[in-house]
Amino acid sequence: MKFIAVLRQVPDNEAKLKIEGGQVSLGGVTLILDGMDEWAVEEVIRLKEAHGGEAVVMALGPERFEEALRTALAMGADRAVHLVAEGYVDPISQAQHLAETIREEAPTLVFTGGQQADWDSQALGPALAEALGWPVVTWTTQLELEGETQAKAKHDLDEGAELVRVPLPAVFTSQQGLNEPRYPTLPGIMKAKKKELRKVPLSVQSKVEVLEQTIQERQRLNQVIDGSKDPVAAANQLIRLLHEEAKVI
Amino acid sequence: MILVILDHDGSHLRKGALEAIARARQLSSLGNLAGLVIGENLGAVAEEARNYLPTVYTAEVGSYTPERWAAAAYAAVQKSGAQVVVVASSRQSRTWTARLALKMNAALLEDTLESSTDGSRVLASRYSFLNRVTEKQAAHLPVVLTAKPNTTPPAEPQGQGGIEALTVEQPGAQVEVLERVAEQKKGVSLSEATVVVTGGRGLGSAEAFAGVEALASVLGGAVGATRAVVDAGWRPYGEQVGQTGKTVQPSVYIALGVSGAVQHQAGMNKSKYIVAVNKDAEAPIFKITDYGVVGDVHQVLPALLEAAKKLKD
Amino acid sequence: MAIDFTLSEEQKQLQALARRFAKEQIAPVAALYDAKEEMPWPVIEKLHGVGLLNAVIPEEYGGLGLSMVDEVILGEELAWGCMGIYTIAMASDLGITPVLLAGSSEQKERFLRKLTQKPSLAAFGLSEPGNGSDAAALRTRAVKSGDGYILNGSKTWITNGGDAEFVVVFATVNPEARHKGVVALVVDKGTPGFRAHKLHGKMGQRASATYELVFEECWVPAENLLGQEGDGFKLAMNTLDKTRIPVAAGSVGVARRALEESTKYAKEREAFGQPIAQFQAVQFKLAEMLMGLETARAYTYYAAWLTDQKLPQAHAAAIAKAYASEIAFDAANQAIQIHGGFGYMQEYPVEKLLRDVKLNQIYEGTNEIQRLIIARHILNS
Repeated sequence: MKFIAVLRQVPDNEAKLKIEGGQVSLGGVTLILDGMDEWAVEEVIRLKEAHGGEAVVMALGPERFEEALRTALAMGADRAVHLVAEGYVDPISQAQHLAETIREEAPTLVFTGGQQADWDSQALGPALAEALGWPVVTWTTQLELEGETQAKAKHDLDEGAELVRVPLPAVFTSQQGLNEPRYPTLPGIMKAKKKELRKVPLSVQSKVEVLEQTIQERQRLNQVIDGSKDPVAAANQLIRLLHEEAKVI
Repeated sequence: MILVILDHDGSHLRKGALEAIARARQLSSLGNLAGLVIGENLGAVAEEARNYLPTVYTAEVGSYTPERWAAAAYAAVQKSGAQVVVVASSRQSRTWTARLALKMNAALLEDTLESSTDGSRVLASRYSFLNRVTEKQAAHLPVVLTAKPNTTPPAEPQGQGGIEALTVEQPGAQVEVLERVAEQKKGVSLSEATVVVTGGRGLGSAEAFAGVEALASVLGGAVGATRAVVDAGWRPYGEQVGQTGKTVQPSVYIALGVSGAVQHQAGMNKSKYIVAVNKDAEAPIFKITDYGVVGDVHQVLPALLEAAKKLKD
Repeated sequence: MAIDFTLSEEQKQLQALARRFAKEQIAPVAALYDAKEEMPWPVIEKLHGVGLLNAVIPEEYGGLGLSMVDEVILGEELAWGCMGIYTIAMASDLGITPVLLAGSSEQKERFLRKLTQKPSLAAFGLSEPGNGSDAAALRTRAVKSGDGYILNGSKTWITNGGDAEFVVVFATVNPEARHKGVVALVVDKGTPGFRAHKLHGKMGQRASATYELVFEECWVPAENLLGQEGDGFKLAMNTLDKTRIPVAAGSVGVARRALEESTKYAKEREAFGQPIAQFQAVQFKLAEMLMGLETARAYTYYAAWLTDQKLPQAHAAAIAKAYASEIAFDAANQAIQIHGGFGYMQEYPVEKLLRDVKLNQIYEGTNEIQRLIIARHILNS
């Protein structure tokens, strides 16, 4: 069996974002494997460990994405395919290009993150499924293979959750609770050096143009009340402020 | 043609559907409007929908799967020749609209806050980078656009349209639902609440949430939880606010014993007022609060409850 | 184009892994183990799990054969999380190094492989109650007896001493011969006649366990002798010439932590209506900290590079060890000053930096001994 995780590299959650020339500047920002994609990577490695076969990681993005692919290899993925394209490419166009490579690989299933931590997009998984003509299960919290042709999965909905059976091949997207990702290990890092990382240069036209990015933080009042000495007085003051000043209760 | 796909509960259109119609009307320079309802036994919702739109398509395809919904939407697109599709944003719609966009080879503008047109392109703004950045996007037609809930005043009825049933071919491989697990729900809906009282790990135990529930109830609000609290099993997932939970935007968000990780902030940072109680003055939550109390939540929360009760009496 | 400061792709990954590990697994529990004065075994197990423990052991014995530059990259990151916890791993490398330098391949296989197979440690037993850095004056006696040696005496301030799979014990077969009488014997855990007592009440680095070791008629087989009789002193010195560089790396990690904590605090804390980072008095302190940090890090990398190139490096190791520990101590001290009253409280992480890094000026040869080594290098060359 072959399991593919599609991943991306995004700013670390604690990174302080800056805008330069109307666009988010990633200069000096620590970039990491997207946390939700990390669940996807962990899941394909676990599937491979449990059922045999191959765990492959794939990405479409700029040269720097190689670091995230290497992290996935160090976690235990067997090989990587990097479709190299600089600049912003919308998830629908990404899916169209990734699908061609995925189809050649003919995997048992594909996993990717539920939502991207940079573009806040949820589209890549379902768009990939459409491009491949496969079913999709989003926000997956549990997955169990039933042979090579179907799987049982639990996934979150807007409200509540659902247990589904899905014919394979299929695309899944990750959600919290799916697994606890392992660290890449130092032996893994050493071994990753020898693993195949195939690069395919790509020229992609994005269907969506990002005109301008801004950080519009709401100006907060930042009033601090010391509640350590007299919590009752602090609580009374807070309720009074919410009632009289903010007028929200 | 602009196609609005209308979210409904089987008997009525949802508020999001009316917001989507309002959004579509804002783009009417790009074409006439048509609506689509998808599901089963659509008579009642189609009747309601025709009060808003000149044409309403119905697609009786059965219960929801992303594949069915995308197929139904695509049938309506082909029938109507629509170049723009507008849908209320939700996890569910963001799944099948991605499929639809691919079928149409269209640009997808996800979870947009507002949208307009310059005559040839659709322009939209949306949040990105875990809700920290606001970005303006532009795309040439065809475009599929999802509209974030509570961003547009719902449309008013207008005219009386016709209803037309579509035949939709069942898609091939698709998921089969074995079981639905309903969300445990008590009191006010988290997404719609004007007051949200959220407890974090700082509360120390599941039992301490009695105070959170009591305060939410006195203020007529909903209870929220952080991921740590949900992971610990103290509260159900349905109450989780944040990147992998719900996004809320109440008039006031009261965070008790919440440190305020970026993933949590992604679900609440657009609230009108943010209040935090935390003993750690360095907690990241204080960077985005309007009113912060530095103190022991176990002492402050009972006092808040008393003060709120007094106010309401 | 001969000078190149770039890290390899693998080194960047090692750094990212160690940084993440320190942030997620070490920093959150550092204060706890410091307060309890307890070995953080769960952390050591996880360190082993990700391959960061005893990684200096060569691949042929099951390790990863880290270079000194690799070790410096790793050391800075782990010490950023907690100098005390880093010392546990570093002291294990200190116990491994004499085996690497003087052990036969049979000895390496016997002693080192087991350290790669489970979370376990080594230790280095040189200091004695009566002599610290004066290694030639040691009093622990080794008397040849049949096919082995009988050890009598005691060692003190031995990191990991009671936890280690083995301790490399330096003893003398002939006190009159001074350094020419020293032997290095590997004493396995549980050897009859060998006891370890944990020392309590350390000022800092309290997560690492420091022991007094007592040897009473403790028989050690001759196959555990590293090198020849009389090689011990040189071996101890050669070991320390290497392992002082990881100490320097630890100091660099502490200095970076001090600067990061100070910068964060200075931007947040307001006085007279503005963040204290706006005041020149605070800015100068931050600038001094960065000057120290950058120079110490660059020099530590240089000393490590010399070691990897097998070039003379004893003086460079001494400079790096002494210099980095001094700028780190200053940085921790200034970090407390910037934090004001809060800096003096254990709720904030900076007072621990000072308590921890004080030891970096003392162990593996005091900074005064380092200056002797440096002076000797000047005068003898």
